[in-house]
Amino acid sequence: MQRIPVTERPNLAQAAAGHELEFTPGQGVTGWDETAYYQFTMSQIEEDLEGPSEELEGLCFEVVARAVDDEEVLRRLGIPEHFWDYVADSWRNGEKNLYGRMDLSYDGDGPAKLLEYNADTPTALYESAVFQWEWLEQAMALGLIPRGCNQFNDVHESIVASFPLLGIDGLSHFACNQDIEDDKGTLDYLEECAREAGMDTRFLAMEEIGIDDRGRFTDSDDQVITTLIKLYPWEWIMDEEFGRNVPASGVRFIEPPWKAILSNKGLLPLLWEMFEGHPNLLPAFFDGDPASDMLAGSYVRKPLLSRQGANIEIVQGGKTLFHSDGPYGAEAHIVQGFHPLPEIGGNYPLVGCWLVASKAVGLCIREDRTLVTGKDCRFIPHAILD
Amino acid sequence: MTRWNTISVALLMGVSLIALPACEEAKVDAAVFETLKQCYDDPSMNQDRCKIDYKEAKDQHAAVAPKYTSEADCQADFGSGKCEKAPYQTSSGGSVFMPLMMGYMMGSMLGGRRSMMSQPLYRSADNPKSFRTADNRNVGSATGRTQVARSATSRPSFKSSTIKRGGFGSSGRRFGSAAT
Repeated sequence: MQRIPVTERPNLAQAAAGHELEFTPGQGVTGWDETAYYQFTMSQIEEDLEGPSEELEGLCFEVVARAVDDEEVLRRLGIPEHFWDYVADSWRNGEKNLYGRMDLSYDGDGPAKLLEYNADTPTALYESAVFQWEWLEQAMALGLIPRGCNQFNDVHESIVASFPLLGIDGLSHFACNQDIEDDKGTLDYLEECAREAGMDTRFLAMEEIGIDDRGRFTDSDDQVITTLIKLYPWEWIMDEEFGRNVPASGVRFIEPPWKAILSNKGLLPLLWEMFEGHPNLLPAFFDGDPASDMLAGSYVRKPLLSRQGANIEIVQGGKTLFHSDGPYGAEAHIVQGFHPLPEIGGNYPLVGCWLVASKAVGLCIREDRTLVTGKDCRFIPHAILD
Repeated sequence: MTRWNTISVALLMGVSLIALPACEEAKVDAAVFETLKQCYDDPSMNQDRCKIDYKEAKDQHAAVAPKYTSEADCQADFGSGKCEKAPYQTSSGGSVFMPLMMGYMMGSMLGGRRSMMSQPLYRSADNPKSFRTADNRNVGSATGRTQVARSATSRPSFKSSTIKRGGFGSSGRRFGSAAT
C-alpha cells in the first residue's frame, strides 16, 4: 500500500460536471482528491481486506444472533424496549440486507483492524462505485498511471444484481433528509441502481411520510408504503414520533431493523467479548467496564451512535491526544484500543471496505488531516498493480 | 464529503444500460377486458380463468383505487358519473370517493413475470380511450390479448387517506447528515 502522487486529470472540471459533482476552480471537486492515489497489491486486497471483511461480517452476524435473544444486550445498545421483538423478528425472519461499509485501520502490512461498521447509512457510495472507476479508466488512458492497473470495485454491478434478490414486489419508496445533498445524492444513486434492476421506485422526504387511520405509512399521494429504502438511521426512526408505529406498519425496510445492532458502536465490545484476540479486532469495552483497564490509558472513546467522526476522544498514556466536538454523546460510550491510522505526509488514510449482500465488493479510501476521519475528509482513489 | 445536486448514471464501466429509447419501454404479453362478459366472449380465453381473474381484480378495486374526499375532485379526474363512494370514511367521518372500475388486466395472462396479480383498470377524463392502472400507468386502449408496458404490470399500491404527516424527520433537522 503506497500513496503515490499523481497529476490531476486535465478534464477534471468536465468530469465533475458530468456527474453533477461540485467543482471549484483552484480547489477541485469538493470531497475528492486525485492529486494522489493508493496503490495496492492484489494479495493485499484479497488477503488483508476482502477476505477479512467477509469474515468479520460472519462474526457480526453471530453478534446479532446473540443480541436478539438477550435483552441485556439490546438494553446496553440503547435500543428502545418497544423495538426489541421487532428487531429480533426481522433477524429471525431472514430479512435481507443490502449494503454497508466497514472502516478499517490498515497500512499495507499486518492485519487490518475494524474501527467501526457503517452498517445502516453508509455514504461515499457514488464516489466509490462510479467516480473512482472513471478516474482509473481515464488516468490509464491519459498515461497518468501505469496501464494494466485494476481496482477493487464491483460495487455498482453488485448493487444492481442484489436488488432483485431482496424479494420486493410493487413500488419501492426511497426516503432521506432531502436537505442534505450528500445523503440525497447517495440515495438517488441507489434509486438509479434499483431502476436499472427493473424496480418501480419513488423518492420522498422522510418528513413527507404520513400515517393513515390503520397505522400504515403513506406517501404524499396517499399511496400506502410497502417497502422503504431509507438513508435515515434506525435510532432516529425509533426515537421520532412515528417510530412507535413502525413495528405494526407492515413496511419492509432496507436496511432491515437488525442492522440497528451492527451500526451501533456497542458492536465493538460485543465482538471483542465473543471473539477476543481475533486478528482483525481491537480490544473494546463498554465505558466503565473494569476490564477496560487492560487498555492502560490508551484508547479511543466513542458514543454508541455518533456520525462523521463527531464526539470522539483519543487518549494516549492517560492524556487526551485529540477530541472532536459534535451533537452526539448523550447516550453511553465505548472505549476501543488505540490503533492509530497510518500517517503519510500529514494525511491519515482510512480504508473502507464495501459489503453488498454481505460480500466484499469494493474499496473506499478517505483521508483527513487528523487521526479521526471527519466530515471534511477527502476521497482518494486507489489502484491495484502487481 | 462530496456535494451533489442530482445524479445521472449514464456510465462508464461496462454497465449495460437498457438500449431502448425512453419512449419505447419493454412490453409484455397481457390480456385486458372491459367486463367479465367480454372475456367470456373471447374464444381464446378460458372461462374459469376469466372469472377468477375478474374476481381478483374486483376484490382489489376498493383498496387500490385513487381516493378523494370530494366527489367533484374525483369527477374532475375521471369524468362525470364515473365515481362512487369508497367503503371507507375519513377519520372525521366524511365520505371518500373513488373512480369506477372500468376493466381489468388478467394476472394469469401476463408474460415475463412470475405470479402476477390481476388488477382493476380505470379511464381518466382527459384520456378516456386508454385504460390506466390504479397507479396511473397507461395500459393502452386495446382489449383482448395485447401487450402492455412492463411497468404497468407491477402490483398497484394501496391508496389510503392520510391522517397526519411530519412524524419523521426531526432528528435529521437536529443532527444534519445521516452519513457514516
